[in-house]
Amino acid sequence: MKTPPASIICTDLTLRFPVYGVDAKSLKKALARVAVGGRLGRHSGVTDVTALQSVSLKLQAGDRLGLIGHNGSGKTTLLRALSGAYEPDEGSIEVQGRIAALLDLGLGIDPSATGYENIRLRGRIAGLTSKEIDERMDEIAAFTGLGPFLAMPVKTYSAGMQGRLAFAAATAVECDVLLMDEWIAVGDADFQKLAHKRLLKLVERAGILVLATHEAPLLKLYCNKVMRLDGGVASEVMDIRKLDELLAG
Amino acid sequence: MDTATHMLRTGQRGTLFQLQMAGRDLRNSFGRMGLAWSLAWHDVSSRYRGSILGPFWITLSMGLMTLGIGFLYANLFAIELHVFLPYVALGIVFFAVMTGTVNEGCETFVQAAGILSQTSLPMFTFVWRTVLRNLINLAHHLVIVVAVLIFYGYWRTANVPLALLGLVLMVLNAGWLSMLVGIASARFRDIPQIVTSVMQFALFMSPVFWKPGRLKDYQAFLDFNPFYHLLEAVRAPLLGAPVQAGSYLFLVGMAVVGWLVTFLIFARTRRRIVHYL
Repeated sequence: MKTPPASIICTDLTLRFPVYGVDAKSLKKALARVAVGGRLGRHSGVTDVTALQSVSLKLQAGDRLGLIGHNGSGKTTLLRALSGAYEPDEGSIEVQGRIAALLDLGLGIDPSATGYENIRLRGRIAGLTSKEIDERMDEIAAFTGLGPFLAMPVKTYSAGMQGRLAFAAATAVECDVLLMDEWIAVGDADFQKLAHKRLLKLVERAGILVLATHEAPLLKLYCNKVMRLDGGVASEVMDIRKLDELLAG
Repeated sequence: MDTATHMLRTGQRGTLFQLQMAGRDLRNSFGRMGLAWSLAWHDVSSRYRGSILGPFWITLSMGLMTLGIGFLYANLFAIELHVFLPYVALGIVFFAVMTGTVNEGCETFVQAAGILSQTSLPMFTFVWRTVLRNLINLAHHLVIVVAVLIFYGYWRTANVPLALLGLVLMVLNAGWLSMLVGIASARFRDIPQIVTSVMQFALFMSPVFWKPGRLKDYQAFLDFNPFYHLLEAVRAPLLGAPVQAGSYLFLVGMAVVGWLVTFLIFARTRRRIVHYL
């Protein structure tokens, strides 16, 4: 089952978002020069945004990559592409290993369902069988620390509690590649500590972590490599020690 | 079953490649039918959370409609009640499965936007979710069918295996329609309104509340109504009546052509659907 070690290989990955329902003429060409957002252009008659431009990336087991860049520089898009949701327009993405994406707290979360039901649902989406979920339920429930609240509808939870639930459920699935976007900073200090332990354990299991964030301390805590995106164009993958250089540049 | 330990996505184009990828999507969805089932089951149980009767509320309202229309129209059309009421009951129940599957098909991909934009789950999984959800609903409404068949004694002549065949044909056809409107609705947000109106129109234009025998010179009107054939294939055997061979031909042809067209459109739009949302 664990034959090939986890790896991510992107070659010349280019991703464009077609923009539907927008009158192409109303979009000023000047927008393309603005630092925020990707580049707007027209390809084969559809207005589109080039979100990623020839991104090449090679990661192997043990790599913990931090993604930095402005809003709209393509961090989340890259994560979504790595999760398999977006198909490249050019180039290719190859991921070896089971992928878990923690991009959106709301994934598979039904606010009117209870915590338990949501763990179940999320587990099913992640590919667990009902039996496997039953086996892990106690452990997941304990990790959330939500106790009796798990039997209550999720809509009664605070954002932090929802974060705990989602994090616990998503990381309960054994994965080799973990994709995370920003929100790791959910929950209170206690939970942060727990989450931190869990993440480190995951990385120890020879997994890959790709984390998009604006916070330098987080990067230094979790990552050993860093890459900067600017308008969809990626920098080299650098050692985390060069973070300050990269941030300044 | 181990899921997706290897993922390769490329910018490769070409009809053959796109058909291959669409085929892989379909195959993977069969491998994960359990997920579609869980999602469908969750949909039903969460929609009726906190209600005492759950989906049986719809059953109840169908039963009421059956009684009302059964008694009233039997009088209006001067048809005997024991002929007309079972006929209407079955018509309402089975037409509702079709309407439900097609109407809710509009939501299939829109509803799954969150999941589709951060996983590599097969898209077909969500089509099966919609179809299975409607079958779960049908399972509740079967109470009406069974009650009517027993009460009016049709159970003695009912041909259940043939009706099941009809149901399979109905689900097959409703399935591609559902997927087709699902793709269209993801791209154009006006589609759901149009679909709802068309299905409403179809309900009144099809022999659900009236008997086809009274149509006289307008037989062609029925022959070209797909919903008539879909309904007859399930209803007639249960009422102990024969189904015309032509109906089966029509339904099989419609399923084959429909799925082919839908699959081709899916192959062409698959990589774009997530961007529509």
